[in-house]
Amino acid sequence: MNTTVNITINGEIYEESVPNRLLLVDFIREVAAQTGTHVGCTYEGVCGACTIQLDGEAVKSCLMLAVQADGHDITTVEGLAKDGELTPLQIAFNEHHALQCGYCTPGILMNMDEFLKKNPDPTEEEIRHGLIGNLCRCTGYAHIVEAVKDAATKLA
Amino acid sequence: MSANKDGVWVGEKFNRKEDHRLTTGKGRFLADLSVPGMVHLTFLRSERAHAIIKSIDISAAEALPGVIAIVTGEDIKDKILPMPQPVVQPGLPGRFPKHWPLAVGKVKFHGEPVAAVVTRDKYIGADAAEAIVVDYEDLPYVGDPESALEPGATLVHEDWDDNIIFEMGFTGGDTVESQKENDEEVEKIMQTADIVVKNRFRVQRCGVTPMETRGVLAEWDDSDGMTAHITTQRPHIDRLALSDILEIPSEKMRIIAPRDQGGGFGVKAPFYREPILICYLAKALRRPIRWIESRQEHLMVVSQERDQINDLEVAATKDGKLLAIRNRGIADCGDGCQGVYWGFVMPFLGAVELPNGYTWEKGDVKVKVVVTNKSCLSPARAFGELPTRFAMERSVDMIANRCGMEPAEVRRKNLIPELPYTSVCGEYMDSGDFIKVFDNLLDHADLPAFRKEQEAARKEGRYIGIGFGLGVELSGVSSELMVPMENQPGYGAATIRLDARGKAIVFEGDAPQGQGHETTAAQAVAHTFGIHPNDVTVTTGDTGTTPFGSGTIGARMGSYFVSAAVDAADVLKKKLARFMAHDMALSGATEDDFEFSGGEIIYTKDTNIRQSFRDACERNIMAPINLPEGETAGLEHTAFFEAAMPMIAFNADFCTVEVNPENGQFKILSWTTSEDVGQIINPQIVEGQMQGAIVQGISNTLFEEFIYDENGQQLTADLENYKMATAADVPNMKITHAPTPCPHTPLGSRGIGEGRPSDVPGAISNAVCDALSPFGIEITELPLRPNMIWRKIQEAKAKQAAD
Ligand code: FES
Ligand code: FES
Repeated sequence: MNTTVNITINGEIYEESVPNRLLLVDFIREVAAQTGTHVGCTYEGVCGACTIQLDGEAVKSCLMLAVQADGHDITTVEGLAKDGELTPLQIAFNEHHALQCGYCTPGILMNMDEFLKKNPDPTEEEIRHGLIGNLCRCTGYAHIVEAVKDAATKLA
Repeated sequence: MSANKDGVWVGEKFNRKEDHRLTTGKGRFLADLSVPGMVHLTFLRSERAHAIIKSIDISAAEALPGVIAIVTGEDIKDKILPMPQPVVQPGLPGRFPKHWPLAVGKVKFHGEPVAAVVTRDKYIGADAAEAIVVDYEDLPYVGDPESALEPGATLVHEDWDDNIIFEMGFTGGDTVESQKENDEEVEKIMQTADIVVKNRFRVQRCGVTPMETRGVLAEWDDSDGMTAHITTQRPHIDRLALSDILEIPSEKMRIIAPRDQGGGFGVKAPFYREPILICYLAKALRRPIRWIESRQEHLMVVSQERDQINDLEVAATKDGKLLAIRNRGIADCGDGCQGVYWGFVMPFLGAVELPNGYTWEKGDVKVKVVVTNKSCLSPARAFGELPTRFAMERSVDMIANRCGMEPAEVRRKNLIPELPYTSVCGEYMDSGDFIKVFDNLLDHADLPAFRKEQEAARKEGRYIGIGFGLGVELSGVSSELMVPMENQPGYGAATIRLDARGKAIVFEGDAPQGQGHETTAAQAVAHTFGIHPNDVTVTTGDTGTTPFGSGTIGARMGSYFVSAAVDAADVLKKKLARFMAHDMALSGATEDDFEFSGGEIIYTKDTNIRQSFRDACERNIMAPINLPEGETAGLEHTAFFEAAMPMIAFNADFCTVEVNPENGQFKILSWTTSEDVGQIINPQIVEGQMQGAIVQGISNTLFEEFIYDENGQQLTADLENYKMATAADVPNMKITHAPTPCPHTPLGSRGIGEGRPSDVPGAISNAVCDALSPFGIEITELPLRPNMIWRKIQEAKAKQAAD
């Protein structure tokens, strides 16, 4: 069974007929061809690699169906930088070597982007807890925490 | 970014070149690749651990719309050569079980591929796989390696006479007589030594699963042949192996490791069975086929390592001089069906590295690797040595306790004082200064102050402890070791091509998965040419364009690959120098009279004579007239770097913990390291490698465990049940350095990071035991969970009460 959905991704409208069972993450990656959103855990909601923002809220796009996003506005990692201008968080990730393979990075950026909006002056402990929903296998997290702290300072 | 006008890039913080694309969603990972006409492959995997396949009914699956093909083991066994193939068969004396990409006749572990479905859409693939009906007849499950060794045990491979895939002694020379004599001498030491500690150490099955699973996209073209994108650390080995096994001439086989790979840590190093089938079907069906492994498949079949029992005896004098080791290792290999490592190369190396950085008079070290009905062990960072090092580092602490000495003091006393040194297990250690590294660590530890604090804390009922661990790590693997161990060369190879605009392209046959090769290599090459790292591009992992390399394994980057790149750059520099001497008529000038710096080539005897690097390249490539005698145009060179003997890196750690004796919960309070990584190329990348590796070690020690039930069902095939460390679980770290440049590499650099998690479990367990020393508990088993600590405390209390 198919349903026609109307989903805005990074400002572009996608009006498509999709199978009801299509996961949102697959819609983003395959229909909208925005492959920056990753899949790390086969749709368990554990790894956080698929994190996007739905109407500004960080959500795991593997836990939603595309039809549930009908009428909603989505931002993915591709939509963070405006006109090629990286956000302070993206810059801080580079400055602090907060990524190695970069597979987890889009999800972490989308989560932390929202986190910093809600908590502009976080403690280290708060950042670490804020990251619980994102697994990173490469970095050991310390550089990620530093980058988020630094971005918070720059944004202040 | 500092504008480094002197062109000194080695040792500089330089923000990674990889990051822009990876932070903007423009990475190109395997799952991001697609080609027109691409179809999807889904594996049906065995639900049973050990069973005869009586029949497979594909009729319902075949009838589903969108299904293109379904194959089973029977369909392919006469069309694809079986494994093993010589190119992925080590020179070690092991057994190499015959197998195909799909199970033939019987299944040998829960998760073994039984059938494959090719569909237009991956959702239909899942439906179709589910619609296949397999009729199994169960066989007894072989799950415990020790029972599998008993006479009459059920055989995992019926054509063998027992379940031993590999067995080896590492000590006492090459003859039966010399080994016997050695073992008798060790026995004598064990009989007469002041102190002998003897323990059974167990490390659970766990590994370093990367965040990106495996995948393949294979495409066949009747004239060009096969182009297969594979998540792999070793594209060149995959190419040869696939060519042999599919009987496709090697010139028609091109393997491309995606530019971006989401972690590997050893997991992407074997030659797996899945790519064989996907390439075969891409050709047979004349359709591009993509397979993306699910996390469930991944955790069922790969990323499983460790899984060793080590019965270790250590003899020492009462003043803490270590004398001898005797170890009997048993590793649970799983079914052993996996190219390159066959599940036993890891325990082999673990045994080799058991003696660690200590001096021993004698050793008697033997290992048995046993097949069972589990998935084959696949490599994970700290390759084979995490379990043996846990055993060793714990034993050293036990010796210290028996001597009434500080564990740190016993370590320092027994460190190899001078290198090179060859261990009792035959490991050659080329260079470094272990004592300097350890003393640097001790400077940061301030033990006397900690002991005071500990005593004060105990008075308040708080239990804090300190634990040490240290590790000798391979810095790349020389051909000397690689040829017998993996039947592959160890050299590093790099091609450098300079273009007419003075830009360098570096080609690397090894395929990185996040280690920052593009940046590190660019810095090393820019440094050598005196140009900017942004003028250096690094291309990796495409067998169509890169020189042969055995892969991104065993910390080969900072040791072998970078050295090859620097050597290649040096050859080109010399050529540019000769051209300049000729063009400017500098009679008597030698290649060494020119300095490459700040984008210029400067004649050192008269620094007014200079030429821009770009002009020099342009002249050579675009204006090949009036050449120096005997020269030809062109600026491209491939260098092969080989160190005569194996090289190492060395590190030591200490951590402090606080344990709650009421419930066994503990917290890591601090972590400090001391490293000898030789000459650092990019300090931030080095630090990232260390932090990541240590957290992997922490995660293995505290959380990760693959669990099988009594029927061999794997119960931990998702990240909810296979728990990995999160940001909230781990401490911050202080990474410190006490380097000795490696004398055998052009920059003095060492390969780093591969073995780095190995001393972590020992350090943590030592700290926990130290904190709980009033109870006298000894940890000999991982994972180190609060319930185990609590149980040990209860046992100790009961014993104390009884005494
Ligand atoms: S893929 Fe969505 S949380 Fe892992
Ligand atoms: S950078 Fe590799 S998983 Fe986070």
